[in-house]
Amino acid sequence: MKEELERLFAEALAKLKSAVEERQVAEIKTEFLGKKGKITALLRGLVNISQEQRPVMGRLTNEVKVSLEEKIKESLAGIRERKRKEDLLHESLDITLPGRRVPIGRKHPITEVCNEIIGIFLGLGFQISEGPEVELDYYNFEALNIPKDHPARDMHDTFYISDEVLLRTHTSPVQIRVMEKQSPPIQIIAPGKAFRCDSDVSHTPMFHQVEGLMVGNNITFGDLKGILTIFVHQMFGDKTRLRFRPSFFPFTEPSAEVDMQCVICRGKGCRVCSFSGWLEILGSGMVDPEVFKIVGYNPNEITGFAFGLGIERVAMLKYGINDIRMFFENDMRFLGQF
Amino acid sequence: MKVSFNWLREYVDIDLAPDELGEDLTMAGFEVESISKVDTNLNNVVVGKIVSLKPHPNADKLSLCQVSTGGHLYSVVCGAANMISGDYVALALEGALLPNGVKIKNTKIRGELSQGMMCSEEELKIGRDSQGILILQDGLELGKDIASALNLEDYIFEINITPNRPDCLSIIGIAREIASITGKILKIPKIEFREGNEKIDKLTSVEIHDPELCPRYSASLITDVTIGLSPFWMRRRLESAGIRPISNVVDVTNYVLMEFGQPLHAFDFDLLSERRIVVQRADDGDIFTSLDGMERPLFSDTLMICDGEKPVAIGGIMGGLNSEVSEDTSNVLIESAYFNPTNIRKTSKKLGLQTEASYRFERGVDYGGVIRTLNRATQLVLDFCGGKAAKGVVDQYPSPIFPKEISLSINKTNKILGTSLKKGKVKRHLKGIELDVKDLDRDKVIVKIPSFRMDLHREIDLIEEVARLDGYNNIPTTTPVVRVNTAGKNPAQVLQDSAKDILASMGYLSVALLNLNVEHPYKRFVSIKNPLREDQSIMRTTLIPGLLNTMKTNVYNKNLNLKLFELGTVFYSVEHEKLPKEKKMLSALATGLRYGESWSFPGEGIDFYDIKGSLENLFEGLNIMNFSFLPTPDIPYLHPGKSSIIMVDNTEIGTVGEVRSAVLEGYELSNNIYIFELDFDLMVKHTFSDKKIKPLSKYPPIYRDIALIVDESVQFKDIYNAINKLSNKLVDNIQVFDVYRGISVAHGKKSLAYRIKYQSYERTLTDKEVNNIHEKLVSNLVEKVGARIRE
Repeated sequence: MKEELERLFAEALAKLKSAVEERQVAEIKTEFLGKKGKITALLRGLVNISQEQRPVMGRLTNEVKVSLEEKIKESLAGIRERKRKEDLLHESLDITLPGRRVPIGRKHPITEVCNEIIGIFLGLGFQISEGPEVELDYYNFEALNIPKDHPARDMHDTFYISDEVLLRTHTSPVQIRVMEKQSPPIQIIAPGKAFRCDSDVSHTPMFHQVEGLMVGNNITFGDLKGILTIFVHQMFGDKTRLRFRPSFFPFTEPSAEVDMQCVICRGKGCRVCSFSGWLEILGSGMVDPEVFKIVGYNPNEITGFAFGLGIERVAMLKYGINDIRMFFENDMRFLGQF
Repeated sequence: MKVSFNWLREYVDIDLAPDELGEDLTMAGFEVESISKVDTNLNNVVVGKIVSLKPHPNADKLSLCQVSTGGHLYSVVCGAANMISGDYVALALEGALLPNGVKIKNTKIRGELSQGMMCSEEELKIGRDSQGILILQDGLELGKDIASALNLEDYIFEINITPNRPDCLSIIGIAREIASITGKILKIPKIEFREGNEKIDKLTSVEIHDPELCPRYSASLITDVTIGLSPFWMRRRLESAGIRPISNVVDVTNYVLMEFGQPLHAFDFDLLSERRIVVQRADDGDIFTSLDGMERPLFSDTLMICDGEKPVAIGGIMGGLNSEVSEDTSNVLIESAYFNPTNIRKTSKKLGLQTEASYRFERGVDYGGVIRTLNRATQLVLDFCGGKAAKGVVDQYPSPIFPKEISLSINKTNKILGTSLKKGKVKRHLKGIELDVKDLDRDKVIVKIPSFRMDLHREIDLIEEVARLDGYNNIPTTTPVVRVNTAGKNPAQVLQDSAKDILASMGYLSVALLNLNVEHPYKRFVSIKNPLREDQSIMRTTLIPGLLNTMKTNVYNKNLNLKLFELGTVFYSVEHEKLPKEKKMLSALATGLRYGESWSFPGEGIDFYDIKGSLENLFEGLNIMNFSFLPTPDIPYLHPGKSSIIMVDNTEIGTVGEVRSAVLEGYELSNNIYIFELDFDLMVKHTFSDKKIKPLSKYPPIYRDIALIVDESVQFKDIYNAINKLSNKLVDNIQVFDVYRGISVAHGKKSLAYRIKYQSYERTLTDKEVNNIHEKLVSNLVEKVGARIRE
């Protein structure tokens, strides 16, 4: 009987080996282990053998049965695995076709750059202020120490609504509106639109500025340099060199123009920087005592600095845009790139 | 201002290369915008001297000259007639290539050898004069290259002079700054000349009737001048400064203008009635013909220079045609004055006339230098136009201006700048720009301001000078110590950011539109007095035209699938208010294919429900909860059947719809453009800030569908509301999932299919109980809205 068992086991294993489909394995299982299976029949035949031999043979037969079941499982797993692999081979996609994209929108480069600038100054503890775009001559000029008939008005080609009302030519009037309402210390930025009647490659009748104002008891020109250096470094990288040079704005004194190392040529000289290696990026200065008097601050106690920068200018440098009018033409091919 | 490097070097020694000088000037506050090299490209053109001159034996109009270049003698045949023996000339030798393309060769002219050519300015392209050859000043080194002998090689600096520094609108002004930067000495030209015996007071007089507008007026008189060409070098310098040479007398006044920054004017003395000057205001409505031949209307605040009977010049701005120096002039009166800056500026603006003179007077000239510059002009007229100067000058100075004295605290200087400068250094800086500095006490100094620095009148002006002279880049960079405050964006600013993010996430591109617009008939708009263009003449009251224009640009560029938005300001005039009301609006436009061109999406066009969906997402994203859409036929630019008013909490906050085709024609656009415009300020008010979540049910929901056939006129919302009313608390959600018109539905009817979600938050519902509720709901509904169930 033992021989018979071994023979059956070998026969089953041989059959399993040549099985390629699950169905064949199932048939083998039935043939040997089914109710009428050959090994099942042997088990049933145990009743016919001697008492002493029965436990030995019983164990042996069971072992063969378990072992065969194990082999059947392995065989099935093998067949399934092969099948899966075959199926995967037939299921491959052309993954080079473009993905199914629902178009997404973008924010305008001016918005993006403005947010970046705001982010930097928020981090430095500045608050955001706003003011009207249609403004009184008083706030736009007079309170900023630019009386009527002052030659400095030549620096502003102004759109007028009436003799007293105009489109603000810079965001600086917000300085006055804030100082009129609040007492020092003040630390604000005022992003917004400004207008000048000028239109060419580098001028549009409307443009965007960010104004900054910091006023307190011991604010120095050195602090102005410090804050603006941090700003330029965050905006354009730590290694960007900058320089401060004397300039003139009626509402600041001393006044400084801030140049940074050309971002295109890194200071070597190129067309963008007119071969000077430097780019004008900010106008700034210590708030003129005259302005403090106008808003009712005591210029002997209070000092402060103000600055203004053109957002378009920053965006042009950042993205390599050479015609300012592109910002306002709103061609999708342009807007879609940000 | 254009400044010649060579001219500067007359007043200060410069060891720096032009670009180094440019850098230094820029860092001292005189921004050098460009430096251009003046290159003559003249080779083999040298200084020669005519040693003999005789007529050409075979030609009447030619002469035969022997020209010496020091070592050599050349025979030159010449066609000009303006030279005499002994003149110094520019001789082009064999091999020279003139700028006009002429190549010089040894040749025979009418049988006589000619070894070169004596050139005119025009032939050398170094001036405009083509009448005869260029006669050089005597004593130049013979044989020397012409470019170096005449100092023709030069660099022109284009310098941006800020309005506070009129003193630097002159070569000497810039030279003074260079002297201060480089520690050199400023060399002011010596002014010496021989006066005649006749006293000027006997010959003419000056009366000032308006000392406020004209604090100082001085004049000199030169008789028997010969009008002609001014010397080559002077003309060349004027051209380098962008001033066209005219005649020797006029050129002298312009030369002194550029040299010292003091505008001068020369009158033909014989054309002045009663040979005197009266300074007074014009009458409103008077007309005056200025030098440029233009008739100028005058005003009662226009200051006129008059003679005994009539105006002869607009004070400080431009002379008159009636007293102009001409070829026939032999006696000239030269004016040097100080005019009220504000009045000059007003007049210049009113007349629309800005001149080199008005530009300087309105910024303030050196009131103390009036006589010096007058004498300088007299000297140069005598040198180059001949004649005889009357003895002395007329100097009417009824309102003298006295030099200011300002005290400067070193402590305050350091406090403002954040520096620790010592008093000695501060004093050295200020003395370097010719300020007179004396100690007042341990901390303070007293600074006397010279007359050419009218811009220095307060302590802070001196502090700026100290900073400038010490160098901004030497000031230590520090960071301020500040109080911690609640920096951040206010709720409106935060909402703006969110709105932009949400719209961008739905495929909308943000655009930047001009706030300027074309006039339109609807609203109380604010108009601009001096627009650049007709279509930018008012402040916008809506963002929609801007969006349509943007679409037009894009359609032109074949960008046909567009979703655009802007969040921006509009303006309405308000009665009795100076400033208009400014309001933030949020507007968007959508048109073209829903998903753009794609290999896999169906090419379906955007319709009303796309833009409405965008709005619904936007409101929910911004926590604006209680919104609804009301149909309206009344919006003039929207399709009456496809437009809606948007309500939030019973307040109208905007409109949405399809743009009417009549409107689109104006933009050369065609149909199917959807637009919304929202009052963003109102949205800010209606945003809901303390949002709380709704709990989630632990029990499974049961869905039941219902399809109703109704008349076309019945709207989704009617049935939705009816279901809502009839439903019990287990109805958790009602959704429409199909709207159908077609074969199985009669004409004029439509089928609306709703899916109702039954949900308990306390237990698991059974099919049986839901079926009961649902059947009851359906039968009630059919009765209520007159619907038929679609099987």
